[in-house]
Formats: sequence, structure tokens, C-alpha cells
Amino acid sequence: MAYALVALGFVLALNASGAVNFAHGDLVVLGGAVAVFVGLATGLPAVLLLPLVALAIGVVGILAARIAILPLASRPPEATFVATIALAAIIEQSLTIAMAGAPRTAPPIAGSGSFEIAGLVLGRQPLAIVVLGAVLVAAVWFLLERTQTGRRMRAVAADRHMARAVGIPVGRYVILSLALAGALAGVAGFLLGHQFLVAPTQGAGHMLKAYIAVALGGWGSVPGALLGALGIGIFETFVAARFGDAWASAALYICVLAVLVLRPQGLFGEPVGRRA
Amino acid sequence: MSAVLEIGEVSVEAGEIVALLGGNGAGKTTLLETVLGFHSGRVMLFGRDASALTVEQRVQAGVGYVPEGRRVFAGLTVRENLEASSSLPARQRRQRVEEMLALFPMLGERPEARAWLLSGGQQQMLALARAMMDRPRLLLLDEPTLGLAPVVVVDLLRRLGAMTADGTAILLAEQRAALALSIARRGVVLSRGQVVRRGSAAELAADPMLADLMAGA
Repeated sequence: MAYALVALGFVLALNASGAVNFAHGDLVVLGGAVAVFVGLATGLPAVLLLPLVALAIGVVGILAARIAILPLASRPPEATFVATIALAAIIEQSLTIAMAGAPRTAPPIAGSGSFEIAGLVLGRQPLAIVVLGAVLVAAVWFLLERTQTGRRMRAVAADRHMARAVGIPVGRYVILSLALAGALAGVAGFLLGHQFLVAPTQGAGHMLKAYIAVALGGWGSVPGALLGALGIGIFETFVAARFGDAWASAALYICVLAVLVLRPQGLFGEPVGRRA
Repeated sequence: MSAVLEIGEVSVEAGEIVALLGGNGAGKTTLLETVLGFHSGRVMLFGRDASALTVEQRVQAGVGYVPEGRRVFAGLTVRENLEASSSLPARQRRQRVEEMLALFPMLGERPEARAWLLSGGQQQMLALARAMMDRPRLLLLDEPTLGLAPVVVVDLLRRLGAMTADGTAILLAEQRAALALSIARRGVVLSRGQVVRRGSAAELAADPMLADLMAGA
């Protein structure tokens, strides 16, 4: 579910800016790191720490939009690629210095330990991740599908030039989308930071997973990205349990290649000819 | 009559349709996009110099735009396309959507359909309804009849003619001169970005040189 949040933020940023934000994976790591450091410094419980992390990385998302995305909006997408790669490197190197290269553990959301329901043993933290992830996905769905802000965010994602032509303040919606993408990345980093530790070099891995989820689900499709991320998580878990981690990664990439060869627009993407 | 638009040698007054004629590359789209603010240039809107206004400010001032190729928001439904394109407060916006759905029955039949599922004619009506959401005083239309079935073209032209009754001004860019002049009061012929002929719709329709002028000869 945490990967779903990563992929959701990635696709929101992609749709809003029209270019891949290569710093998105590092925003996830930054979220974990902020949880570690602020948690240690303040001793705040996770329920208070979580919105703080979301807010902080949301602000970083706005800075990313202001520094590396909006100023380059009229340039070819490659300019944004390079700028966001530079931003990713800055975040990674800054974290390497701040963390002295040592992985840390983010505080748990719902405490450690497990409990049993009808003979099924459930870990508190994994369950909290699933519940929180589901709530956030539902909240983003509500925002996008049921509010004027969401409709306008989707209009901007569909056609920025036309969105401007009907009077939508496009820059404001790009910033809002990047802020939301950052907040989701921050929450995901917090959740993953307890399960898998926080290490400065993890950004590229998160980025790759999000990229695959979006490519599988359909480039630009929000539900596709969510299902792609959930599919990756389930696939890796089951294959790794049966054959080991190395086989799980290899099998994942083989499946990705197969899907992209057989259905280049992804599982839920619209065929280009059907687009208005 | 007062001019709602003046740009170079082209002007449009309240309640009239002006046909902007010319072949491919004549500069029709560039002129419309300059009025909207996508390109720099001196533009007078509603009696004021609008040259420094942003696109958003010009739309808020009362300019509506129907682009060539319709460019509806493909993944949004008909209703969402209309709502997203409006800056009205929520209650008025929803009421205006219902008015648009009633005014365009082919949209009213499928308000929850995704725009990319609509036919070309339905998409054109959606693009027009979208531009009308906030009651613009000036409508800019770029090749609205392109690729439409004749029966839809007739319906579209009838609607455009009716729109001027409340004072809405329309600048209609078209390659199909006879169609545009059939509903316009005046016309302007562009060639390579320059006005090469102007006159009443009747004068231009009777001009034996019109086809040559539009071809840039």
C-alpha cells in the first residue's frame, strides 16, 4: 500500500507537469528521514508526526515545482528530466551527509507487535500501513473526482494549453499537484521507513517501482498507477516467498517487458487513437 | 454599436458575427490566440487595452474560445468538462451546467459520458458549451465546422446565429467561406498574416476574387 502512495504521487506530478519528476523517489526517502530526525528531536507520537512529515515534504514538492519544473515548462521535457535528476542528487547527497551514511529506522505508526483475529496473526504496523494507505487513496480519489479543484487538476493534466484557454490558472494547479505528490511521498517514506529502514540511496529504487507501476497501469492513469503498484507489491511478495528476492525482481521485469510489448499503452491506458 | 474587440485591422462589435477567412497558414489561429493572450500583440477588449492581461484575465473579462480540433478534456465526463471550465460559484456553476445540457440536447443525453467517447459533432457541441459556461461577451471560434457531418454543421451555425441575440460577439475563423459568410455580418480575409480584403458578408460572398485571395494568390 505504501508503494501505491508512491505511485499515486508520481503520477499526479507527472500529469501536472507533463514530465517525469526524477526526484520523486528521493522525496520518499526524505519523508522517512524527516520522520527519523523530527521524531528523535521532539519525541512526538506518530499520529502528530505524520501530518508534519506530509506538510514538510509537501513544501519540498512546491519548491521542486518552483525551482525545477515550472521555470522549464516551455522547454523540451528533457530540461525537466535533468533538473529533477539534479534535485534528486542534491537530496540524496544531503541525506548522506546528514545521516552519515547509516540507515535509520522511522518510528512505527501503530506500535510494534501483532494481534490475532479468527486465527489470523496481523502485525500492527503492516495493518496500519494498509488502513492509512487506503484512507489516503480514498481521500485523493474524492479530491480528484468529486471536487472542482480535482476536476481542474485533471483538466490541467489532460491538456494544459486548453486549460489555460478556459481560464484555469494552470501554474497554481501544477504547484498544488506537486505539493500533494510531495505529501504522499512523505507519508509513504514514513511508512516504509519503519518496515525497510531509511537509507539515502533508496530513492532510485522507489522511483523505479513508481515508474514501473505507471508504465504497467497506463501512462498518466491514476487508477492504473494504483493497481500497478498494488500488483507489483503482491507479485514480489508471492514470488519472493516461493523463489527468493532475486527471482522476484527478475520475474517482475520480465512481466513488465511482456506487458509493454503486448499492450504498449499499459493495462489501463487509453489507446492513442481514442483520445479526443 | 460598440467594438468588443479591436486587433490590428480586425474589429468585432457587440451582437455581430465577423468571419475571419483564409487558407491554411493565413494566420487565423495566431490572430485568435493573440486575442486570447497566448501571443503578444496590441489588443483592445471591451473598450480597454488588454495587451498586458494574462490569458486567465482575458477569459475572466469575458472571452470564450473554441479551438480547432475541439480539444475537449478527454478523460473528463461531459458534465466535468463544463464544470472544470467555469469560474462561477458552485451553485451557479451547477445551474449553468444544467442550462447547457438543456441547450445542447446531444450533450444532455450523455452527461456522464467521457469526452473521448463522444462523436466529433458531440465533441464540437461540448467545446462550444464549455466556452459558453461563464457567459462570454466575445466568442472566438477556430474552424468549428471542420470534420463535422452536414446536418451537425447546419445545427451549429443556427446556434451561433442565435447566440448573438443577447449581444454576444463572435469572431469565426473558417476556411469554408460560404458557410461562414452565410451567418456573418462582415468578413475579413487574411493571407500570410495580412488583411487582404474586408467587407460586408454579402460583398465578400459575391466577390469573384475571394477564392484566389483565400488561396494567397
